[in-house]
Amino acid sequence: MIRETTALMVRELKHWYRAKVQIFMLLIQPIVWLGLFGQALPLKLPPAMLNGAPDYMSYMSVGMLAVTALFTCMFAGMSVVWDRRFGFLNKLRAAPIPRGSIPVSRILAAMIRAVISALMVLLIALIFTHIPGLAGLTVTSNFDILSGLGMILILVLLATAFAAIFVAIALTIKTQETLFAVINLLNLPLMFASAALFPINSMPDWLQAVAKVNPLTLAVDGMRQLLFAGSIGIYPLWVDILGLLTFSVVLVIIGIVVAMRALKEK
Amino acid sequence: MTAIIEVKDLVKVYNGSIRAVDGITFDVAEGEVFGFLGPNGAGKTTTIAVLTTLLQKTSGECKVCDIDVSKHPTEVRRSIGLVPQEMTVDDDLTGRENMILQATLYGVDMKVAKERITELLALVKLEEAADRMVKTYSGGMRKRLELSEGLIHRPRVLFLDEPTLGLDIQTRTTMWDHIRDLRKNSNMTVFMTTHYLEEADSLCDRIGIIDKGKIMALDTPIKLKESLGGDVISLKISGEMDFTEPIKSVEGVLSVKKEDGSYRVKVFNGETVTAPLLQEISKRGGSVTYVSLERPNMDQVFLEYTGRSLRDAEQSGSFDRMAAARQMRRSS
Ligand SMILES: Nc1ncnc2c1ncn2[C@@H]1O[C@H](COP(=O)(O)OP(=O)(O)O)[C@@H](O)[C@H]1O
Ligand SMILES: [Mg+2]
Repeated sequence: MIRETTALMVRELKHWYRAKVQIFMLLIQPIVWLGLFGQALPLKLPPAMLNGAPDYMSYMSVGMLAVTALFTCMFAGMSVVWDRRFGFLNKLRAAPIPRGSIPVSRILAAMIRAVISALMVLLIALIFTHIPGLAGLTVTSNFDILSGLGMILILVLLATAFAAIFVAIALTIKTQETLFAVINLLNLPLMFASAALFPINSMPDWLQAVAKVNPLTLAVDGMRQLLFAGSIGIYPLWVDILGLLTFSVVLVIIGIVVAMRALKEK
Repeated sequence: MTAIIEVKDLVKVYNGSIRAVDGITFDVAEGEVFGFLGPNGAGKTTTIAVLTTLLQKTSGECKVCDIDVSKHPTEVRRSIGLVPQEMTVDDDLTGRENMILQATLYGVDMKVAKERITELLALVKLEEAADRMVKTYSGGMRKRLELSEGLIHRPRVLFLDEPTLGLDIQTRTTMWDHIRDLRKNSNMTVFMTTHYLEEADSLCDRIGIIDKGKIMALDTPIKLKESLGGDVISLKISGEMDFTEPIKSVEGVLSVKKEDGSYRVKVFNGETVTAPLLQEISKRGGSVTYVSLERPNMDQVFLEYTGRSLRDAEQSGSFDRMAAARQMRRSS
């Protein structure tokens, strides 16, 4: 099980780092957001509204990390559909491997890609603060190794949850067009009904209620508490982490069950 | 003869209405190269999919290596190799990486795998291209890589679904050589499908002719040809008149089949019957516009057992557009 899963995961990751254009596109996006959005949207909000972030760009940069993880996991779904189209999935189905290794390897690969991408965006945001004329992420807490591990843990849990959703959807859906439609349907509400890009207290009540149970909100809420001094979270940090853990465990279980059903011979 | 594949009354119905495989029964002996010959849509791929555990049968019984395919799919998967109709090698890996992945999936020990990979890549003449990305390969190279992938775990039965589909004549011939080598150098059983007559004729120990989900005939190529009972004289006679009876009256004529204005006359010995036959027709006022004498070949065998020529069957059969599109993308 471990051997096949690792081999399939490595294959996915090889595809990813060999497709340099894909990585470039992925990084271009946050650069554009941070670079242009920040200039065009000079929101002057007090730190109290921003979870303790010193300025809006610092607040939004954290949201960008989470959104990057979300987008990367979405693309993982695309490669599943591609593999079905070119018969690779059938080849796996004909091999004497535990069926579970197919979704598990995908979820792991997507998670690793998502975390690496998010960390690259973090690096960009940190560099941007120091470039005159640009805005980025200013860290105000006493950031230590423990906070660093906390950030990684949060990203890992968030990415695992999303990877499980999208891998399961992609294994169930047969065509690229339908997958695109479903992704678009999920992607915008997930992104905007959350505290990723805008503070939720300015949202209408119903939207706030949705945003409060969105895994993206839990992730950014937790990360902001790690990055900004005096950050008062929507939830305490441990609630954020526990919530994300629950999300990822439940979604991975559902994802694997759905995937196994989709892979069964008809 | 020990049967390594046993199929009994296999039926596969898609979506409750399409009878892709309609009650077929056959055995394949260990060490044999067995071929399914039939046009597109005949049910060849469907049969392979059931035998390789990719598809659940509707009814019937299938055993591979004495193991029930639906009851113990994982055990069956271990002892078989599959080279599917579409090319499934991974474009974004090198040839060798593809092989290593395959070896891992089939649980081959890495040290053994490394040796075998070198050996197999040499066998299919891909040593030099081994460390290049597969996306730089030609269609024939991909197909050869696919074949060597199917061999990595030394399967007892190898399934080849249309191994030369979409390849040019030259590449097709090299592929045939590879399959012949397999036959010579191991006791591996090969189950292959094809819609090329020459391929079935020259490679297979036994051929099953399959059309519309049914096996129409099953025997060695030689026996199938013999079963046509000698030579065939094809005639075209102008005019509306039916010459079936006069033709039958000629000595040495075994049977006559009429299709529009042309006749297929089965005779014991074409050389001696042709002249009296033509004389008889002209005596009855017929004018022969075309005549040919054919020794039996697979094309006629196909026609005999399915009632249509393979080419006509291809045209009327459902054309696998997806597969063709894939093929085009891959070989461009
Ligand atoms: N997944 C499927 N769903 C519905 N019909 C199918 C499916 N696969 C094949 N068929 C139909 O079953 C018949 C046999 O197909 P197939 O086994 O692919 O033939 P062959 O390999 O001999 O060309 C065809 O009529 C084809 O259209
Ligand atoms: Mg086919």
